[in-house]
Amino acid sequence: MQNRLIALIEDAHKKNDIPDFRIGDTVDVHQKLLDGVKERTQVFSGTVISRSGSGAKETFTVRRLVQSEGVERIFLVHSPRIAKIEVKKAGMVRRAKLYYLRDRVGKATKIKDDAKRQVVIDKAIKAAAEAETKAAQEAAAKAKTEGGTSKRQAKKAAAKEAAKTAKK
Amino acid sequence: MALGLIGLKVGMTQVFTDKGDAEPVTVLELGPCRVLQIKDKDPKKDGYSAVQIGFKDKPRKNARRSEQGHVAAGLKSKRKEGRQKAGVQLPPKADCEPQRYVREFRVDTTDKKVGDVVNVGEVFKGVVSVDVIGTSKGRGYQGVMKRHNFDGLPAAHGAKKVHRQAGSTSSLASNRGSGRPKKGLKRAGQYGNTRVTVRNLKVIKIDEANNLLLVRGSIPGHNGAVVLVRPTNKK
Repeated sequence: MQNRLIALIEDAHKKNDIPDFRIGDTVDVHQKLLDGVKERTQVFSGTVISRSGSGAKETFTVRRLVQSEGVERIFLVHSPRIAKIEVKKAGMVRRAKLYYLRDRVGKATKIKDDAKRQVVIDKAIKAAAEAETKAAQEAAAKAKTEGGTSKRQAKKAAAKEAAKTAKK
Repeated sequence: MALGLIGLKVGMTQVFTDKGDAEPVTVLELGPCRVLQIKDKDPKKDGYSAVQIGFKDKPRKNARRSEQGHVAAGLKSKRKEGRQKAGVQLPPKADCEPQRYVREFRVDTTDKKVGDVVNVGEVFKGVVSVDVIGTSKGRGYQGVMKRHNFDGLPAAHGAKKVHRQAGSTSSLASNRGSGRPKKGLKRAGQYGNTRVTVRNLKVIKIDEANNLLLVRGSIPGHNGAVVLVRPTNKK
């Protein structure tokens, strides 16, 4: 059992928008990186081969193949440096730790799909994509009504002006 | 020296900094503590100046009469009545429940009075780092390899039945002429369960509402152990 006061401290550092991802799932981990002064995101995608720890200390290991060389990275589930964890594919496995994948190559590393969960995940991905396009559209519409010029409009205007001067 | 507080080691966890780094922290439950007595430097009285504080109430039925009388103003006693009759001025009492843990902090001057309640927000306001005094985990009677990090003797090369011994202890250089080993020679014995002070631990967070203090790193003792915490005296 966890101590009440420890839980109190940890709850303040826990995220509540962590998706349901399990061992064997294929995920995209969006990391925030500080590139000089600018912040950018880097995506690390691979298979979740273990989750360990609990509370704010929970970690997960993602394994992927880079140029046929296995690369594993351990992330803190609740780290503020992780912008997003996206579940791409639901896997069905019978182990809590998939360390056996380290000894295997090629076809043997394939993980069975969890079709039932995949439906839910596909729906979520679709909804997220729709929300994104909708947000983009709304932003565009807002920009239009507010009378600001988009990049494209500005380009067009500049071209027109150039054509005019060329004619003269 | 500054006044500190009595508390309990709750346990360790990790928190994230603003930069996103995970930092190992020990959670301490400190105070609120009652000021029970102010020790007087006057050689006729206590002979040193200190503040005595108590932490956590103790049920009256479990407290000895002396423990009750130490804090209670209203406790009747023949000696007290006699002293009162004789015109002796009685020392002030905190007038609270008997305290489970009573400790002293040596301070030169204090503005605290008997009966005052001190808590973590007040004592550690603006404090960057603290010292933690605790009792290390007892490991019992241990050999020199565990207790003093000796290397032991070879596993092979003719070593028989002596693999974890200290080896020769008769260094002529340090014991010349005395005929016996120097004091403080490292040997097997009780390891742990001693008072240990860890100085200069960084304060990560003060949670006044829950009387919590988060310090970076580890501290001696098991979870639930009593610790003393004071603003650091490390320069």
